[in-house]
Amino acid sequence: MEQKVNVDITALIIIFNKNKSYILPVLIMLISLFLFLQFVPPQFNALIKAREEAKATLAKIAKLKENLNILSNINDAELNSQLQTLSLALPLRKDYVGILDTINLTAKKTKVDVGSFSIRIGDISTSESNADFFPMIRFPVPISTDIVGAYRFVDEISQAAVPLSNVYYVNAGKDSASVGLAFYYMPLGSTSDVSPDATVVPVSQKGLKLIDQLIELQKESLQETSLVSVATSSAFK
Amino acid sequence: MSTNINLLIHTDKETLRQKKRIIFFNLAAAVSLIGVGLIYFGIAILIQIVNPGSLEREHQKLLVEMSKLQSRQKNLFTLNNRIENINKIMKARDTISKKANILFTKVPSKLPLESFEIDNKSVILVGQSNSLSVIGEFLSSLTDMVRKKDTIKSLTLNNLELDTEKNVYNISVRSEF
Repeated sequence: MEQKVNVDITALIIIFNKNKSYILPVLIMLISLFLFLQFVPPQFNALIKAREEAKATLAKIAKLKENLNILSNINDAELNSQLQTLSLALPLRKDYVGILDTINLTAKKTKVDVGSFSIRIGDISTSESNADFFPMIRFPVPISTDIVGAYRFVDEISQAAVPLSNVYYVNAGKDSASVGLAFYYMPLGSTSDVSPDATVVPVSQKGLKLIDQLIELQKESLQETSLVSVATSSAFK
Repeated sequence: MSTNINLLIHTDKETLRQKKRIIFFNLAAAVSLIGVGLIYFGIAILIQIVNPGSLEREHQKLLVEMSKLQSRQKNLFTLNNRIENINKIMKARDTISKKANILFTKVPSKLPLESFEIDNKSVILVGQSNSLSVIGEFLSSLTDMVRKKDTIKSLTLNNLELDTEKNVYNISVRSEF
């Protein structure tokens, strides 16, 4: 016999009354699910982001503490003195006075006569282009001497430390020679790019050794300058 | 014989089962709501514990301290920059005087040089001698250097002539580095 199901309002009311105790808890569970999906994933993402930010900030803090430690142990006077030594060897700009002094001193030391020469006075803030990339001022210097004298001059000036130089050609004959000299300089570039967050690197042992070598060379040059000055002044007495 | 049918017993079992089911559902609803709340506030507490805000304040404080040492930092940067560049230059620059000194040692004393021209790429020596054997000795030394790849890598005899007036041989050689 077929059972007829009569779906009318009465039936629905009966079903409702039978199950009404379940409606509230199911509704609450659905709301909980909605709240979970709506709020928990963004909150979790916020936690991950906070952890990443904290990790990055901790790394920056560690770096800053190390930088402060290094900088706090540096003596300003010593730093300035070292900087002066290096700036004499590799000036920040074209050091015409240093160049002329070096040529003059070398000529006097090696007893050669330097003829007239000219140094092109260019823009101090731009570098001359050259195949070697390092900025330099190049010019020929005529000297009145024989081949041996020319090489004494070249030898001596190659060891000069103030400023750093290079001989790029020599053309020497019996009585005269022409020596191509190049004096280096290096503009620094903007130090405003030096960020407080940047890693501070202390001077290496190799760097300190270089500074000591340059100081010695510069001391020798100064001694020679004073000897030459004394000899010159004696000659005029 | 009892004809009483105790329907209550069955009704009680069913009601009990239903009551249990309702209690379970209510419990599940409560647990889910409380659970979501706990998870949310738990994560919020973890965020507070991590506290990037306080770390950022410490970072800013250290930046302020660094700014007091900024000139020292710039000087140190300049110093390291100079050292690096001086080392590069000293490695890169050609030592013409060194090469010239090596070549001078190969010139016999009986072959005085008339001229000596040298640059980064090549050298030209012009000398004079009244002895061909001295010139030969000179050329052999230079050839040896080329063979051993010592300083020079080629040798070209530009000129060898006899000056009948002075009775000397003039020689000009060119070598490349």
